[in-house]
Amino acid sequence: MRKSSAVLSALAVIVLGIAGCGSDDSSSGGQAASGTVCADTNASGDLLADICDAGEIRVSTDPAYPPQSSLNKDTGDYEGFDIDVATEIADRLGVDISWETPSWDVLTAGSWNGRWDMSVGSMTPTNDRQKVLDFTQPYYYTPAVVVVNEANTSVQDLTTDLDGASIGVCSACTYEQFLNKDLDIKGYSFDYVIDDADVHGYDTDTTALQDLALGDGTRLDAVITSLTTAQGFIDSGKPVKIVGDPVFYEPLSAAFDKSSPMDDTSLVDAVDGIVGDMHQDGTLTELSKKWYDGTDLTVQQ
Amino acid sequence: MGDRLERLAVSSARIPFRLKVALVWVVIFAFLGFFFWVAKFDTDWMLDNFTFIAKGLQYTIYIALGGIAIAIVLALLGALARISSNPIAFGISGFYISFFRGTPLIVQMFLIYLALPQIGTNLHVQYPELFSRQFEDSLVLDPAVAGTLALGLNYGAYMTEIFRAGIQSVAAGQGEAADALGMTYRQKMRRVVLPQAFRVIIPPTGNEFIAMMKDTALVSFLGVSIQHAEVFRRAGLVGKADFKNLEALVLAAALYWGLTIIFTFFQRRLETRVSRGYVRTEPLRTAELPSEELSDLPPHGKGGGG
Repeated sequence: MRKSSAVLSALAVIVLGIAGCGSDDSSSGGQAASGTVCADTNASGDLLADICDAGEIRVSTDPAYPPQSSLNKDTGDYEGFDIDVATEIADRLGVDISWETPSWDVLTAGSWNGRWDMSVGSMTPTNDRQKVLDFTQPYYYTPAVVVVNEANTSVQDLTTDLDGASIGVCSACTYEQFLNKDLDIKGYSFDYVIDDADVHGYDTDTTALQDLALGDGTRLDAVITSLTTAQGFIDSGKPVKIVGDPVFYEPLSAAFDKSSPMDDTSLVDAVDGIVGDMHQDGTLTELSKKWYDGTDLTVQQ
Repeated sequence: MGDRLERLAVSSARIPFRLKVALVWVVIFAFLGFFFWVAKFDTDWMLDNFTFIAKGLQYTIYIALGGIAIAIVLALLGALARISSNPIAFGISGFYISFFRGTPLIVQMFLIYLALPQIGTNLHVQYPELFSRQFEDSLVLDPAVAGTLALGLNYGAYMTEIFRAGIQSVAAGQGEAADALGMTYRQKMRRVVLPQAFRVIIPPTGNEFIAMMKDTALVSFLGVSIQHAEVFRRAGLVGKADFKNLEALVLAAALYWGLTIIFTFFQRRLETRVSRGYVRTEPLRTAELPSEELSDLPPHGKGGGG
C-alpha cells in the first residue's frame, strides 16, 4: 500500500511541476498612472475592470515571425513591431504586459477560455473571424506580394501570367482565401486578378517559400505571402524574387475573444480608441518606420 | 555468388563479429556525413542555435516522464479490470482502450486543451451552486499539462494490453498455488503474479516510453510558452524566424536520437535485472571454486520459483 501511494505522490509532483511552469513571468502590477485608461475608467465587473485591477494584460504573440515578433535569444525578451505596439497599448491602458504563445489555429478559433486577454498578432479581421472574435480598427496594412523562383522569366503580368499556375500559400490564411476569391472583410473589397489557381496549402508561408526555392515549377510556380516575409526570405540568401506590385493590402487588427467569460465591450472600445490615437499622434508611423526599413505601412493604400 | 559469400565468411571468420558490425556502422555514418555535406546545411547557424534548442530537452523529458507515469498507473488498473469478472470494471476498461486507441493522439490533446474548459464554463453557467468558479478555472489546463495528460491516457490504453498479456503469461498454476496458500487477491497479485509479469511487461513498456519521448513534439501544436518549450517547439521557433527550418529539424532529430540511445541503454540494464532469475549460468563444479567465490554465486531460480 505504501509503495503505491509513493508512486502516486511522485506522479503528483511531476504533474504539478509542469503546471508550475505554466504562467509567464511578469512584474507586479502597480497603481495606474494618471492620464491612462485605467485611471479614468469607471468600468466594473467586466474584462477591462478585471485587467485594471490585476494591473496586467496578457497578450498572445507568435515569436516566429520577425520583424513582427521574434525572440531575442540573448536577452530572452520578445521584440518586433507587434511587440512594440502591444507594449504601447498596455502603457496607455496603464497596466503591465505579459505574454502567452498559443498556436495560430488555437488563436483564430476563438474560445480562449480566459487564458489570455488580447491578440496583437497581425491578424486580418475577416468576416469568418469576426463571428468569434472582436476586432479594433486596423493598426497597419500588409502588402501581399507574388514571389517566384529567381530563374523564372515567364511571369510578367500578374493579371494573366499566373492563371492556372501552382501557387503555394499558408492554409486557412488570407492568401488562400484571396486565391479562392472568398476573402471577405467588411468595408473592404479586393480585385481577384488570379484565375483558376492550383492552390497548395502549407502549414506556414516559410515551408511554401522553401518549396519554391527548389526550382522554377519543381513543385510550385509562385507563392503569395506578405512583403515582409518575402523580403526576409530573400535577404537570407534564397533564390527567389518578388514580381510586380502588391496584389492586395490586408488590414491587420488587435483581436479579443467574443466568448470570453467576462464582457469585453469596454476593453475593445478602449483599445480601439488607443489605436486611433496612435494613428493620429504618429506613434504607429514611427514604429512602422523603425521595424520596416523606413516604410510607413500604417496608412491604407 | 552464394559460393563467393560463403568463402568470404569463412576466410573472415577470425575477425570478431562485433568488429564487422562496427565497420558497417562506420560506412553508414560516412554516407550520412556525405548526405549532410551535400545538403549544404548552414553549420554555423546550427552551432549558434544548438544550445537554445537543446534547452528544450529538460521539458521533453519532464513531459515524457509525466506521461509514462500516468500511463503505467492506468495500464495496471486497466489490465486488472480487463481480466476481472466485475462487469463495471470490465466495461470501463473496454471503453477506455477502445476510445483512446481508436482516436488520434493530437485530437485527444486538443480535446483536453480546448474542450475541457468549455465544459467547465458551461457547467458553471448552468449550475453555479454545484460548480464553482474555481472548478471552472481548474479545467483551464496549461498546454504542457494537457499534453502530458493526453500522452498518459493514450499510451495507457496501448499499455493496458501489454500489461494484460504480461499478467496472463504467468502460468495459471502460480495463481492457483497462491490461492491454495490462502493468499488474498491483493497478496496474490503483489507477491506472486505481478513480479513475474513484469519480466514480460518491461521490454515493451520501455519501447512505449521511447516512442512517447518523440510524441512529446505534438505538444508544440497547443502552443507551449517559450520559456518552457520542448525541443520541437524551440526548433520550429528559431527555424521559422531565421528561414532555417531544415537545419533546425536536423538538430531536433539529433537530440531525440541521442535521448533514445541513452534510454535504450538504461532499458537494457533494467531488462537484465528483472530477468536475472531466468539467465542460465554454466553449471559450476564446486570443487574448482575457491571458497569465498562460492558465497557470491547468484541465487538460482529466484523469480521462477513459486
